[in-house]
Amino acid sequence: MSDILLQIVIYTVIWGSIYLLISLGFSLVCGVLRIFHLGYGVTFILAAYVTWAFMENAGLGLMPSLLLMLLVQCAFALIVFYKGVFQRYLEEEEVLLTLSILIFLAVAHLANYLYPVTDGVSIPSTIIDGMLNIGGVTIAYQMIAAAIVGIVVTAIYVVWFMKTRIGLIIRAISQNLPAALLMGVNVNRMYYLAMILSVIPPTICMIVIAPFWGVDPFMGSSLLMTAMLISILGGLGNLKGSIVASYLIGFIHATVSFVLVSRFMGLAALIVTLVVMIYRRGGIFAGETLW
Amino acid sequence: MKKICLYIGMIFIFLLMNTGVRAASPETTGPIKIGFMGNMSSPSSLSSKGAATMAVDEMNKAGGIQGRQIKLIVEDTKGEIPKCVESYKKLVMNDRVLAVIIAEKVEMGVAGMEIGAELFSEYPHLFFSTVGSGDDIWHRVRDNYKKYRFGFQTYYYISTNFLKIWAPENTDVFKKQVKTKNVAIIYEDMEWTKPLRKGLPNVSPSLAGVYKEKGINVVYETTISLDQKMFNPIFEEIAKSNAGVIDCVVGYIDQSAFIKQWAQSSARHIPVLIWGGLAGMPPAWKMTEGKVNGVMVGSSMVKVAITPKTLPFMENLVKDYKVGPIFGSHTTYDTMYGFKKAIEKAGGTGDVDKLIKQLEQVEEVAVLGTIGWNAKYHYNLPHPKYLTPVVQWQKGEMKVIYPAQYKNADYISPTDLRK
Repeated sequence: MSDILLQIVIYTVIWGSIYLLISLGFSLVCGVLRIFHLGYGVTFILAAYVTWAFMENAGLGLMPSLLLMLLVQCAFALIVFYKGVFQRYLEEEEVLLTLSILIFLAVAHLANYLYPVTDGVSIPSTIIDGMLNIGGVTIAYQMIAAAIVGIVVTAIYVVWFMKTRIGLIIRAISQNLPAALLMGVNVNRMYYLAMILSVIPPTICMIVIAPFWGVDPFMGSSLLMTAMLISILGGLGNLKGSIVASYLIGFIHATVSFVLVSRFMGLAALIVTLVVMIYRRGGIFAGETLW
Repeated sequence: MKKICLYIGMIFIFLLMNTGVRAASPETTGPIKIGFMGNMSSPSSLSSKGAATMAVDEMNKAGGIQGRQIKLIVEDTKGEIPKCVESYKKLVMNDRVLAVIIAEKVEMGVAGMEIGAELFSEYPHLFFSTVGSGDDIWHRVRDNYKKYRFGFQTYYYISTNFLKIWAPENTDVFKKQVKTKNVAIIYEDMEWTKPLRKGLPNVSPSLAGVYKEKGINVVYETTISLDQKMFNPIFEEIAKSNAGVIDCVVGYIDQSAFIKQWAQSSARHIPVLIWGGLAGMPPAWKMTEGKVNGVMVGSSMVKVAITPKTLPFMENLVKDYKVGPIFGSHTTYDTMYGFKKAIEKAGGTGDVDKLIKQLEQVEEVAVLGTIGWNAKYHYNLPHPKYLTPVVQWQKGEMKVIYPAQYKNADYISPTDLRK
């Protein structure tokens, strides 16, 4: 029994932290731009496939490829999503959502066309090889590293939003846009910044989870689903909610996996989210504010 | 005058009907047209298309079939059933193909077979499913031969053969190569694994039952979902179960994640046998950054001369058609040659029922052994006629460890391979 408890605790922390990294950017776009970003899955695909393209086709090393990929990510988020879709169709939600998902699908298919499964795409981003044994539970160091990265990135974001002036402005926008505008906030510039901030966590996430996660052109869908589930459960656009929801989902997944059977972990998380939504319509931390 | 008009009208209608009937009969002159359908963004369909094109080019170069050239007409289904039905109709009704090959998942094959059955009386033709696994195709032939007799399935194994042929062979691998009698079984939650999980009434017990009959202890059993990405809890439990081997009845799960997590889990010293899929393809080494080292897998993509056709097929497909010989390509290529022989034996393409009878009897040297179809049920002849070797990934290479006659390496434990 104590074995199972230990396993649940360890995997709740590890999976919860990884889920946090997956969903942080989605939550940010929801909170600041108030957009349900259905194209969010693109970020994961670009992170893997652009890095691979620079490494394989341009013959660059891992670090230069990662840096260039980050630039491509930012450019894609700003030019294609923000300038191309969000700014134009902010008032026409159905067009905005449709275009976002279409872009996502187009990128996934393009990745599949350029680098099909037979190309063997992988990102050699293992930080630490080997395993750690904690009380009989074996965990890959890379998984622990991914969890630590998740916690650190979230902590940096929270501190930045809470303690810096720009963070304060972004929070103000998320709480009351007209008031922020009246106070002279350059909302457009802040939106640009929020878009860039939203691609960083999923990009880092893809890099750190690649050594134990499958990389394929359609992986963005399952990661988008995870991000959506967490954001909905936590309260759309609320970072505090995302943190709580990530660990709650991690706990549900770990408990169902170790106590029942792992194939029901996804279903269990959906049922819990559904129940929470019935009793608390806006999620655990309802309201479209960032914190 | 009225009578004359009536007679002329009747003759006109008779002529129209006669022309219609003749138009629907298979063409006996000109090129033999074969339709190929697949999802052109899926690697297996693309590889199968390359293999079909290669077979056609080879046959045409050698003078065609009975002096007639072969023409392959390719249609992209995009993996969508409505598009599949539309393309099937186009191939049969407009292009007037003699046969349709569907080289993608079995759902597409079933959709094609259903529309084919509706069209068959007016447009007699043949249908081959060369990628779809499971029992959906041949069960239709078994249950209603008259309606579905035009359909043939060329894809390694059906459930009965999985339980009656593959499972006993696995026990051989477990006992003689891995030297264990304790197995943990992981199934993926799909239609094709259902008979293996539950058994086939009056035919065979479940896979666990077959193993028990053969003296293998099943110490752990679980089913995983297709969208599952985290497998650590399973490996933790298996590590505690005293299993000597992990038998993975999977083909469609995220094998890259599965293998990566196995290699970094407490079960990493327990060898894994995967029934098929990505792990048996050459890119698996690159995709998993070598973590597939030690994994055993049923794979037809290993360069071992099972017949004189095996190596030239693999080399020419890559060299001339720029696709890897992944699953589906062998079966498609072999189907083409089996079909060619049946046409030759039938003496032409004019009588589809005669062709069906010949397909039910034909045997031809193939890439993976001998191609032929069961006379009653139309699935392709299983092992030892048609073969899928068990390979083990050993330091970047796939080595055949079973069956003995094609073996080019001994089994090595994953722990030793990692040293």
